[in-house]
Amino acid sequence: MLAYIVRRLLFLPVVLFGITALLFALISTLGPWTRVATFIPSPDAERHVDLEAIIRKYHLDDPPLKMYLRWVKNLFRGNLGWSQSSHMTVSEAIARRFPATLELTLFAVGPVIIGGIFLGVIAAVRHNKPLDHITRILAIILWSMPDFVLGLAVLMVGFGVLGWFPPGRLSAWAQLAVLKESFVAYTGMHTIDALLNRRFDLFWDALRHLVAPVFTLACLWWAFMLRVTRSSMLEVLNQDYVQTARAKGLTERMVIQKHVLRNALIPVTTVASNMLLGLLGGVVIVETVFNYPGLGLLTATAATRLDVPCVVGVALFYAVILVVVNLVVDVLYSLIDPRVRLE
Amino acid sequence: MKGKVWLWLVLVAVVVIGAAGIFIWTGQKGEPAAEEAQGPSFNPDLFVYLGPGDAETLDPSKAYDTASAEIIFQYYDNLIAYKEGSLDEFVPMLATEVPSVENGLLAADGMTYTFPIRKGVKFHNGAELTPEDVEYSFERNILADPAGGPMWMLIEPLFGVSTIEDLACQIAGVDSFDQVDEAALVETGKRVMAAIEVDGDNVVFHLNQPYPPFLSILAHNSSWSAILNKEWMIANGAWDGRAETWVQWHNLPTEEQVLFDKAMGTGPYKQVEWDRSNSRHTMEAHADYWRGPAAIKTVIVNNGVTEFNTRKLMLQRGEVDAIYVPVENSPQLEGMEGVTVLRNLPLLSNVCAIFNQEINAVDNEFVGSGQLDGNGIPPDFFSDINIRKAFCYAFDYEAFISEVVLGEASVPYGVIPKGLSDYFDPNGPRYHYDPEKAAEYFKKAFDGEVWEKGFKVTLVWNIPNTTRKTACEILEHGIEALNPKFQVEVQGMEWATMLPRRREGRLPMVFIGWLADFADPHNFVYPYLHSKGDFMAFTGELGRNFAAAEFDELVNAGINETDPAKRVAIYTALQKKSIELAPHLMLYDACDRRAHRDWVKGFVFDPIRPAQYDFYALSKSLD
Repeated sequence: MLAYIVRRLLFLPVVLFGITALLFALISTLGPWTRVATFIPSPDAERHVDLEAIIRKYHLDDPPLKMYLRWVKNLFRGNLGWSQSSHMTVSEAIARRFPATLELTLFAVGPVIIGGIFLGVIAAVRHNKPLDHITRILAIILWSMPDFVLGLAVLMVGFGVLGWFPPGRLSAWAQLAVLKESFVAYTGMHTIDALLNRRFDLFWDALRHLVAPVFTLACLWWAFMLRVTRSSMLEVLNQDYVQTARAKGLTERMVIQKHVLRNALIPVTTVASNMLLGLLGGVVIVETVFNYPGLGLLTATAATRLDVPCVVGVALFYAVILVVVNLVVDVLYSLIDPRVRLE
Repeated sequence: MKGKVWLWLVLVAVVVIGAAGIFIWTGQKGEPAAEEAQGPSFNPDLFVYLGPGDAETLDPSKAYDTASAEIIFQYYDNLIAYKEGSLDEFVPMLATEVPSVENGLLAADGMTYTFPIRKGVKFHNGAELTPEDVEYSFERNILADPAGGPMWMLIEPLFGVSTIEDLACQIAGVDSFDQVDEAALVETGKRVMAAIEVDGDNVVFHLNQPYPPFLSILAHNSSWSAILNKEWMIANGAWDGRAETWVQWHNLPTEEQVLFDKAMGTGPYKQVEWDRSNSRHTMEAHADYWRGPAAIKTVIVNNGVTEFNTRKLMLQRGEVDAIYVPVENSPQLEGMEGVTVLRNLPLLSNVCAIFNQEINAVDNEFVGSGQLDGNGIPPDFFSDINIRKAFCYAFDYEAFISEVVLGEASVPYGVIPKGLSDYFDPNGPRYHYDPEKAAEYFKKAFDGEVWEKGFKVTLVWNIPNTTRKTACEILEHGIEALNPKFQVEVQGMEWATMLPRRREGRLPMVFIGWLADFADPHNFVYPYLHSKGDFMAFTGELGRNFAAAEFDELVNAGINETDPAKRVAIYTALQKKSIELAPHLMLYDACDRRAHRDWVKGFVFDPIRPAQYDFYALSKSLD
């Protein structure tokens, strides 16, 4: 297994090269006059601007290969470039935004996976009974709902009506508390930093801000997880060995837990890993609605403003995550299913 | 084997969680401070404002967007400030007197201004303000002069050119800044340092020509004239104050400027943090502020809440004190309990559609066939005054203003907006929607050929500005209703796609707005009408020649005249001419709006202030 992991990791540079080369090839189809737009945030700001000078200063008219080589050279010096759209270096932008995304992911992943599997099992076990229909209808409604509609609805109720779950990552008083010198930001994830600083009031505040986005994400993904678990469970339930298990007198609970669920979880793992990747890459709409600035918003803003260094930098970062998470999932497969051998 | 793996995982997890738990519980620090009022309850010491988009830079020599100016306004003071409610009267700020011919501080020829500098003023780091700080501030900003920045406003009155590079070229007698030699660079530095001088407790400005709006350009609200701390600047790696070295700090990339993300002024608030990843500025009251400390102790300007509905809910819940409201959303706040909404606040700003008089028709998808054959327009289509006037009469101004900007605008009187109506005749001619007149002018255009053959043109608006999209559509309806052979198409385009097309002169009409830099009609007639102005740049060679012949002389006369009455006469004439000759289709004079909690007291609207709020003037109280 170790050999497999090492081999997969050795493959990483190839993936990174492929992705960045492809991105630069795409970008090279845009002329320097298109790319210079990132330096002028809006059409009405184009006053007294010598765009030729900007193009020369930032080498926007270089041939694509030259641009790529310069970028690679800087990369080896640990310099990903300056992000015009977020007003900081690309590495700083990623380093500051990723903790937010990671925190959201960490809090979302448990409820989504456990909840989704739980609902799927219930639906499969109560196949074609009212409970099955209700969960499925609910799932279809939630899955079809555009995320901004659901997000706004959650915000309206959770914050507008009840006032329990405000948007943002911290309340104003908590933001000021975090700024104090006595507060040390170890990870950039407010809940964890609050615990490490033994500030339970801050932990509670950060947690309160996480509820609504996590709930929205959970609703969106539950539907998907439910459907996959349910169909996979139904398939396994019809197998002969399940009949055998029942025939030899095992309780239904034992049959489901020991014999069915285990086998039904393999496709679910695939879906869950996709979801994890989606969450780690950032979720633009949920981040926008709940004012939760993570990687998704960073990438979306950079892309619309043609902020090339930022887009390429985030792509590179995301590629690393992609390869690593996929590797972890492959290893998990072999743990869940002894038939899978990693060679 | 498999069972063992799980066992290990569980064991590791237990150890990690246990260790973390012990670490947390045994610690002593982290008691919540008593002054941290929790929750969204009313807090008179904290003001939270949710703005529209984040600042580009905090450097006064580079900042040229309202979001940046909003923040700079709070951190810095200027020599003088606008008198409340006035656009042409001033009060002293860091100067103790406003120069005038009467008090002898403005020379009779209008070319020398003397400012006595206030004593006892403290910077945020405790240092005391000196006349040398004032001198350094202007010299440093002028010599830095980054491309696309606002420094032309000071360079023009002081040296008669628009950029410091132009001045260096002029001194060296060359065409390009790359060719300027070392000696000429030093001479340029010396010229700048001679134009602004310390004289005892005073700072003296020597202008190149009389320049009536000069005081407006210096007044608070003008971020480019903010007063910096010389010693702190040099200690932090900014220009060292010598004529020999300035070019090392000239036109640096935004992020390499010392002041890009820092601030050190004498203003009522001092910077705590600019959290760029959250687009959030935190500032606290400057305890030693010379006008007395601000009533509100801490201010958070959060420009990261981009979704209006989120901002609205936060205002409604009282979690924040004020939010930015785009025009299309302002009806959603009507009748909200506990919230004051102010609408129709007249801005010094207007929006127009520029007629490109010489369209680059090569491979141009916007002009159809590129000929007057009913399937396109010829490149010089808009150089015919009848076409321009016909377009102006075919736009339904009233419908646009009531339906699209929801009444928060007014029909323009020409290129100078309503807010500066002291400078023109407010009963003068205006365009209005008149299909008959539009048809009449279309019939006259190109000797009747346009009416007979028809035309086809594409109007382009920049995504996501739907206000401009609707303006295009209203124009489309107005024109197509006149003659079935007239075809107008409307197309949306991302800014990055639009920019090269606009630069190459391919767009038949350019939709664009102007927000005043300073309160003077020159700041409108120059960009709109002068052949070297920003907007005439989009009208092709023909358009610029037309402007040079019709407007340049009057525009120059206006800025060189020091007699206020004569200036009014000149601008009245220019305003009238801008209607008669219709160089642009003036769409509307813009208005602004504010939405804050009722507990916000002391708000005064100022049409020239880039900052939505002057936090120093505000307080919070529940009665």
